[in-house]
Amino acid sequence: MHQWWHRWFRTPKELRAMGVVGINMRNARFLLPNNPRKLYQRVDNKLCTKALAEERGLQIPKTYLVVKSPHDVRLIEKQLAEYDSFVMKPARGSGGKGVLVIDHRDGDVYVKPSGVRLSGEELRHHADNILAGLYSLGGNRDQALIEYRVTPAMVRTVISFQGAPDIRIVMLHGYPVMAMLRAATKESDGRANLHQGAIGIGIDLATGRSVRAVHHGNMVSIHPDLKSPLIGLQMPFWDQIMELAVSCHEMTELGYLGVDLMIDEKIGPLMIEVNARPGLAIQMANGVGLMNRLEPVVSRHMSHPNESRSERIAFSQKMFSAKNESVPAP
Amino acid sequence: MSSKTRLLITVCFLCSVGMGIAIYKNRKLGVPLWVGEQNTSWLVEARVSFLSSEQKPVTVKLALPQVAIDEGIGQNAGSIGFGYSTDIGTSGAKEVWSARQPNAGNNALYYRIRFPERYKTGGANEEVKGNPPVAESPGLTGSVERAARAIIEQSRAVSSDDDTFFTHLFLQISRENRSQELLLLRRHYEIEEKIDEQQLLIVMGIDLLRMAGIPARLAHGVKLDPEAGTQAALPLIEYSDGVSWKVKNPAQPNVTLRSDNIFVWNRGGNALLEVFGADNSKVVFTVTKDMISLEKMDQLRDSPLFVSTILALPLSERSVFRYVVLIPLGAFVVVVLRNIIGVPTLGTFMPVLLALAFLEMPLGLGILMFVVIVAAGLFFRFFLSSMNLLVVPRVAACVVIVTLLMVLMSLVSWRLGMRDVLKITLFPMIIIAWTIERMSLIWEEEGKRNAIMQVGGSMLVAVIAFLFMKIPQIQYWAQYFPELLLVVLSIILLIGRYTGYRLSELHRFRNFSES
Repeated sequence: MHQWWHRWFRTPKELRAMGVVGINMRNARFLLPNNPRKLYQRVDNKLCTKALAEERGLQIPKTYLVVKSPHDVRLIEKQLAEYDSFVMKPARGSGGKGVLVIDHRDGDVYVKPSGVRLSGEELRHHADNILAGLYSLGGNRDQALIEYRVTPAMVRTVISFQGAPDIRIVMLHGYPVMAMLRAATKESDGRANLHQGAIGIGIDLATGRSVRAVHHGNMVSIHPDLKSPLIGLQMPFWDQIMELAVSCHEMTELGYLGVDLMIDEKIGPLMIEVNARPGLAIQMANGVGLMNRLEPVVSRHMSHPNESRSERIAFSQKMFSAKNESVPAP
Repeated sequence: MSSKTRLLITVCFLCSVGMGIAIYKNRKLGVPLWVGEQNTSWLVEARVSFLSSEQKPVTVKLALPQVAIDEGIGQNAGSIGFGYSTDIGTSGAKEVWSARQPNAGNNALYYRIRFPERYKTGGANEEVKGNPPVAESPGLTGSVERAARAIIEQSRAVSSDDDTFFTHLFLQISRENRSQELLLLRRHYEIEEKIDEQQLLIVMGIDLLRMAGIPARLAHGVKLDPEAGTQAALPLIEYSDGVSWKVKNPAQPNVTLRSDNIFVWNRGGNALLEVFGADNSKVVFTVTKDMISLEKMDQLRDSPLFVSTILALPLSERSVFRYVVLIPLGAFVVVVLRNIIGVPTLGTFMPVLLALAFLEMPLGLGILMFVVIVAAGLFFRFFLSSMNLLVVPRVAACVVIVTLLMVLMSLVSWRLGMRDVLKITLFPMIIIAWTIERMSLIWEEEGKRNAIMQVGGSMLVAVIAFLFMKIPQIQYWAQYFPELLLVVLSIILLIGRYTGYRLSELHRFRNFSES
């Protein structure tokens, strides 16, 4: 039922009825009890996450170079000579801060996906900024990571404007809880943050099909820039993606986490990063309150503490399929 | 025991201890709970410090305000290892401290008096007793004397009696553009004694008054300004028109002393401080406003709970605490605004520091200066970023530029006659420089809308924290019932377990729909 105040706000009672989880609730009930402080190190430092992932044989983007000191910065260009495209990011960055994507080269010039051209000096300056901790948690000194740039699989280039879309899967106790695809728009400038104008596309856990899309909190069905349809798209390699996500839980031992993945044209799904404090926008994209899914997982975890990987995936796909929750595609 | 019960037990314990002490202080000791139930009083503390060696006996004599002796307004002396007594002689009262073998090194002695607000200044006209005083000639000779005479004649020509003569004389000798005679006279005093401008005016003024046949002598006062921190004695001049002795402030010769800004400590021409047997002696004063009546204060002093008030501290330390006890309240406001309302801020507790700076200046001006500094800093930051500097040098450069900007703003506004702008130095510069740095990053990464939102949010939080800390009742509680901070602590702990929606989330999820 539509009320006059819905234009401005929802009452706490309405939100609670829909199972919407707020920041305070997420922190107090899911983050703090399930994510012990000492485990954060594993995900806050991407070098550490990648090392762990390699041990377990998970698919990750290949690391080209780790820049550890100002001395290394001077050698960047020489060492990157053989690569045409790459991504530079801070090892301890958060929220996509400081991520620089180079799409291709044009002589000595590095070209970003948006067409912005960077000189070698500007590239090195960006690395210096990363080392100084400008983009890092707590502003401490950091290291810069230069790695393989994912070539997005075909199906997904048609829904993201200049920038690889990524898939976010939120999990509790190793059960996938909700999934979303984040597609960049012209407005978001190649970035995948929803509050900067990226599109959030809810994905059905059971089938890997997109069911719903949200732009600035409003439902949409076609991409505002590309005019391509956003609903009913099938994510490729969905079963692999589920497996990968659950492996990330086993690897980090974090109870509540978000896994970010990208799908490469040739290699398939790659784990990009693990987030110990995943945001709440995923609820908007799916049109489902997180609480509706977290609570069944909590009770399942209590009653069946040691389920296997496939059992967990099966539980989530059965319980949280779009059909089951009867969310009609608009 | 679950974490929830542990929290509740802690909260109950903290609340009952905090409120219990407060209620005890209110009921048994009679400390009023509400500000304004009692007249406020001034508390003036003289602190005598000197350097002594172990062998020599030391005697310290401090002149006391006559009114304190005459009317017995609350006073007490403090010292460790010194005997003290009040000596009322013909030339006024003195507090005398003495010790045969004082501790070697720095020593400090305290003397406090307390009197209600709107009390007399102690500088009222005093009838001349016995023979009328005679002005001694200062003994100037030659050209200096002629110059002095000329100055006196000029002032006498535009005055009608001793009072107006005093006013015009001091207006004349403190004027910016100096006449030939004045320059000559000043040079004489500058050579004779090595003294600063203020003392020079006093010594010269007293001599000129005496030469004009008006008996005059030095007096000392204290500025009743709690913001001033420790202050040296304010030199005043006492002169006689034959009928009574009058006290005036030579810095404001045309203003009669007012009981709300000056208290005359010592008059009658005696030395303010005499120290025998020690070096480097000096006396400084600290002034604070107390909101508890005198009798209540004495009761409180005898109670073991006296410890729980910062009133037990010497005045100079207490004025520091005035702000220290407000910081937790600022932190409390931040917690409420962030965790319950959901205002985005740049840096968690930066707004508290900003609010403390605002407390020292008019709010509108504070906000204006903050906006100007941040805007200018941001402009330079973008300029600097085009030079591809490393981070720490860039922030340091920003600090330098913003500091220069502050100097410039102070100079310009000083010229324009806005003295409050000088308080700009209270802004936490380093933190503002980092704020500028982070804001410019957000500007580049997330767009200017987010950057302005976050800085605006910080400023909003700072203003609300400021308004909260500015409430007299809140300041009163923080100072006289610091145990109530335990209650604040328990509320903060409770908010720490608040799992409901933030107010901003009600808006954020307004479009949330299940289908």
